[in-house]
Amino acid sequence: MKNRLINFARKYPIVFILAVCIIFFSASSPVFLSSQNLTNILLQVSIIGIISIGMTLILINANIDLSVGSILAFSAALAMGLQTYGLFFSIIACLAVGTLIGALNGFLVAKAKINSFIVTLGAMMGVRGLVYIYTQERPIVGTERALIDFGSSSVGPIPVIALIFVLMLIAAELVLRYTTHGRNAIAVGGNYEAAENAGIKVERHVLFNFMFIGFTAALAGLLLVSRTNSATAFLGTNYELMVISAVVLGGTKLTGGYGSMLNTFGGVLVIGMIQNGMNLLNVHAYYSMLIMGLILILVVFIDTRFKAPVNI
Amino acid sequence: MKKRTLALLLAGLLVLSLAFTGCGAPEPDAPPADEAEPVDVDPDAFLIGITQNNVGIDSYQTTYDRAFREAVESRADVEGIILDAAGDVMRQINQVEDLMAQGVDVIIIWPVDGTAIVPAVEKAQAEGFPVVITNSPIDESGYEFIVGFSGPDNIIQGRYAAEMMIDALDGEGKVVEIMGLPGYVTAHQRSDGFHEVITDATGIEVLETQPGDWNREKSQQVMENFLLKYDEIDGVYAADDNMAVGAINAIKEAGRMDAIKVTSACMFGDGYDAMLRGELHGSVEQSPIVDATNALEMALAVARGEEVDFWYYFETPKVIVEEVENFEKPVF
Repeated sequence: MKNRLINFARKYPIVFILAVCIIFFSASSPVFLSSQNLTNILLQVSIIGIISIGMTLILINANIDLSVGSILAFSAALAMGLQTYGLFFSIIACLAVGTLIGALNGFLVAKAKINSFIVTLGAMMGVRGLVYIYTQERPIVGTERALIDFGSSSVGPIPVIALIFVLMLIAAELVLRYTTHGRNAIAVGGNYEAAENAGIKVERHVLFNFMFIGFTAALAGLLLVSRTNSATAFLGTNYELMVISAVVLGGTKLTGGYGSMLNTFGGVLVIGMIQNGMNLLNVHAYYSMLIMGLILILVVFIDTRFKAPVNI
Repeated sequence: MKKRTLALLLAGLLVLSLAFTGCGAPEPDAPPADEAEPVDVDPDAFLIGITQNNVGIDSYQTTYDRAFREAVESRADVEGIILDAAGDVMRQINQVEDLMAQGVDVIIIWPVDGTAIVPAVEKAQAEGFPVVITNSPIDESGYEFIVGFSGPDNIIQGRYAAEMMIDALDGEGKVVEIMGLPGYVTAHQRSDGFHEVITDATGIEVLETQPGDWNREKSQQVMENFLLKYDEIDGVYAADDNMAVGAINAIKEAGRMDAIKVTSACMFGDGYDAMLRGELHGSVEQSPIVDATNALEMALAVARGEEVDFWYYFETPKVIVEEVENFEKPVF
């Protein structure tokens, strides 16, 4: 029993950390396990969570995308600023522009063979520049009440934004496990040349994943402004770090070839629970950053040092 | 190998628990902070939650945070949940939700973004939580969802700057105005207050108003343009000391410091120094400590069910160049 528990913790460190978080916070705060608070946590992680879905695919491919925070900000600003041309137009434009920036990143990585860290670092700065130009550093306020009504609505007890996140996550897990695209993702990340030799259209595959993460960042931006009805130039700052932390916490490797959406969900939840728990316990924001950093390093350490051989 | 794994996991747990106990949950008998005398908290104490804008970003906000914590610790009738949104509007919205989940009596918000917070404030009101806004007003569309605003009266600050300008110029002359970032209530109110007084005064003419966006470099450029455009300028009104210092830089470069009086509506440390050098004629003191205690007082009055004014202002005295040494230099 004890050995099985240890083995399990070695195989899925994120589940273990998640359990520790739940036990600790529920013991420290009577509010933590209340249904309202659990709903809050799910809602609060949805924005980061949706981008994490795209990031999991990118990391499985052994790439990285640092531009998601900037794409989120630009899409959010467009979603607000273009509402004068109609709500439908602004939503389509917001999502299309995010996907397009992703396509540009993907093209430079897949076709021009530039390292994804460099490409997306450039995009992170360049797109943030566009945000400043477009917003003139002033908040852009929405005019359409419908978007904010949508953002604050619920299906039964579940906020609609959280529902979108969970449904996307399930769909992505199914794609990863049961479709050619999912298996190719792991093959490409495991060994790029072998995947190419095996006839996988690697360039197209990588391009698609960058378009997809661009889309998820834009969708996250859209859902964010559906809660605030206002976009500023600073939105999404540091979100790329939060997203990458969540995915890596979940056990996806930066070296590629391994990862799962459910584990990413675990990573996202841990980050959300720590932030929420710190608020409940009245702990200063500085400490929550410190603790998140420590946990991240701890998990990766356990993972690389003591990872049980995968025998599925 | 297995033992080491176990040891490592335990070590991780230890790190976690240490970190938590180290920074302390809001227990009534928490160890005392350096200055304030801690008081045992009444079991019927009010629970006040605050989400601040960005505590580490400047000394004003850091001093406010410290003053608020000390004020809470020194009182028996209040327990506080003191949070920091770290400049992220999404995090602030999440914190408002977390405060609601804990059933606080009053929520105090120092808005990161006065427009983006409106939907969250609307939700809080709908669920029966009174909201007090501190330091910077939110967008007018949110007024119907809040109990009121605790902070400086920006209109009075603008009026004070105008009165000091009238004294400096003996009621006669031509002035230019550098206002804050358009679209922000503070910027417009400080401008409105100034114009309320200046129109009453005989002989003072406002040549032109331009935004300096609270930014020193921008204000310097705006002032450079004014100096080129107008041969006679007797006074400059800037909505805060940061912009006033930018304007002073431009005036000194043009060699016209002797002919021009500068007043401002909010004193910063750099403005205090400029006043010691005689370059800034007058400004207005705004204390972060009074700002914090005023917000707590208002929240407690709301929690006790008392009637409070929607605009719950605190005093912001005039500071003129002759009396500057009677005031402490602002930490920000």
